Amino acid sequence: MMTQTEVINDKAALDAAADGGMRSRTSNRVTRVRPSRGLFDLELDLVWYYRGLLITLVKRDIMVLYRQAALGAAWAVIQPIFAVIIFTIVFGMVAKLPTPGDVPYPVFAFAAIVPWNYFAEAVRRGSTGLVNESELVKKVYFPRLIIPLAGAIAPLVDFVIGFGVLLVMMMAYGVMPTWHLLAVPPLVLIAGLLALSVSMWLGPINVRYRDVKHTLTFLLQIWMYASPVVYSFQMIPDEWKWAYALNPMVGVIEGFRWAVFGEGNPDVIAMGVGGALMLILLFGGLLFFKRMERSFADLI
Amino acid sequence: MTDIAIKANGLGKKYQLGAMGSQHDSVRDLFTSAFRKKKSDSGPKEFWALRNASFEIKRGENVGIIGLNGAGKSTLLKVLSQIVTPTEGTADITGRLGALLEVGTGFHQELTGRENVFLYGAILGMSREEVDAKFDQIVAFAEIEKFIDTPVKRYSSGMYVRLAFAVAAHLDPDILLLDEVLAVGDFSFQKKCMDFARSLERRGSTILFVSHNMFSIKAMCPRVIYLKQGQVAFDGPTDEGLKLYEADNHLAEAPWFKRKAEAPLVFTDVTLRNERGEETGMFDFGERMVIRIKYKTLRPMERPNFGVGLNRSDDIHCCMYSTIEDGLDIPLIDGEGELELLTPPIKLIADLYTAMIYVRESGYGDIAAAQLGGTFHVRHPVYSSYAAFGVFHEPGRWKIKQDPDLQVLQQETRA
Repeated sequence: MMTQTEVINDKAALDAAADGGMRSRTSNRVTRVRPSRGLFDLELDLVWYYRGLLITLVKRDIMVLYRQAALGAAWAVIQPIFAVIIFTIVFGMVAKLPTPGDVPYPVFAFAAIVPWNYFAEAVRRGSTGLVNESELVKKVYFPRLIIPLAGAIAPLVDFVIGFGVLLVMMMAYGVMPTWHLLAVPPLVLIAGLLALSVSMWLGPINVRYRDVKHTLTFLLQIWMYASPVVYSFQMIPDEWKWAYALNPMVGVIEGFRWAVFGEGNPDVIAMGVGGALMLILLFGGLLFFKRMERSFADLI
Repeated sequence: MTDIAIKANGLGKKYQLGAMGSQHDSVRDLFTSAFRKKKSDSGPKEFWALRNASFEIKRGENVGIIGLNGAGKSTLLKVLSQIVTPTEGTADITGRLGALLEVGTGFHQELTGRENVFLYGAILGMSREEVDAKFDQIVAFAEIEKFIDTPVKRYSSGMYVRLAFAVAAHLDPDILLLDEVLAVGDFSFQKKCMDFARSLERRGSTILFVSHNMFSIKAMCPRVIYLKQGQVAFDGPTDEGLKLYEADNHLAEAPWFKRKAEAPLVFTDVTLRNERGEETGMFDFGERMVIRIKYKTLRPMERPNFGVGLNRSDDIHCCMYSTIEDGLDIPLIDGEGELELLTPPIKLIADLYTAMIYVRESGYGDIAAAQLGGTFHVRHPVYSSYAAFGVFHEPGRWKIKQDPDLQVLQQETRA
């Protein structure tokens, strides 16, 4: 038990420690804690203010991902390659799905698996992040938007590795990349924003109903088959293409294929429809997330 | 420029009781309520963890927050640190606020000490440059230099907590909210933490300090806010507040106990005394306690089974004594009476304890009354609850065997 006399010793050393750092930077910023907030008060400036935490969380996720795995980051290569092998056997060799032009099926499939895997992983992390970080949410204040944001950014590392493998694979099959490659970054940005929009809807629901976590696996599976990952956009009957394009990932994946091996023309209307839908999802998700954010710590 | 650090105005926080998720019956409700203001009087199952809390705290002031478990102390800190949203009222906070509600939240097991320092720093709201600048001091403060590049999952719990506190201690906020976090590490580290809090104080930081340890409160805070069932019951000088707090809790009904209407007995007085019969709230480790209980029955009770339980400040039920178990079988009581318990030497480690007194009907029947009999401290220079020494201590008997040609250091200890 601490007694008062024992407390006072040794304080010169501590003073030195305390004063050696930055002097107390007394700020006059006034924070108001209050019950409600306007519907459109999104506090995006706070997200910017806490960008250091965002960067740190992303770094942490990347550092932790393959730690204590014997094969380490090689998993980022192995996983998509296995998917391609399976798809090639099932859809390329058994079902003999056609590919546009003369692109070999493995390259065709891999060009979709790389962006798809990024998207799926971003959704998975973004939607379950609030619950996985429940200790943080309950004990520390920060804009909660940081969590789905980190979920959308961290899987970019796997994406970059997968993209490198894709390029190597194309060379091996003699498919040369073109200047269309410049379209890759904006397409990835769209995929990331889409993943963020989905996470902003599913994340808060997951806080209350953990069902989301279990639903997510097959939701993503269905979504993958509803996107032109294993087959091409051309296989969709013309009269249904408009409905098909309501899935924003259609535009992303088709655009990605076009960007890497320049085959086919990206369907501008499809991308426009998908993009518009995504913006609605994004903005609505932001409002929904901010609305629900205030009760996270109570419910988690 | 204002010299008010925190101005709380009618802060309140309401919780819905019952299972989480029962608040919304369906996913559809969740969506509709998300964009609609909830009606505030939505049924009987709600409870105000905090209500009408208004106070002003000046810059540089140290304020202790006291109250029983569940009185709203943690809720208040959570509201002020913006972790939870108040249901009503506002609070204006001037300056950078750091909240240490739990040391080490956000540490990642797989990462090394070094990586965790940066991670935890960012979580607490420090910039990378700030952590960089203070890194060596943090590591030195935690006394953990050798292990800084080891994953924290291999740390002992003491090392873990020291590192976490060291980061937090260097946060250097204008306002610091502390929830029992000074109570970490071993004795010398604890001292270091207290000293650090004092050095913050000298530099003009405002500290809000929640603790069950009345010594720490007395040592650090000239002013206390006493919360009782979510309301501010007292706000003023520490001595006065502590007196009120102790008087209030003397003989109060045990929080978990629901008295029946036709209760047969009430405890009218309890005193804690040392072996010389002097009333005290402080016992040395190994000292015997005398607990003197007065009661009054409202109807005759057959075979009453009286009991005294000792609970630690963190709500761990440590031990109990009961008349029947200890061989005193009372056939009948009626009217007023006095009962005295002389405990064996108290071997509980140093901490704050509450004595709880109760009586069961006819041997092992229902509990007829349960009241708080007062709080007391146990003193021991080494064995305290802050340093993972367990609940009690009893010396053991040791032996050592070595090669015959090695010098024998000590053959056997006496228990």
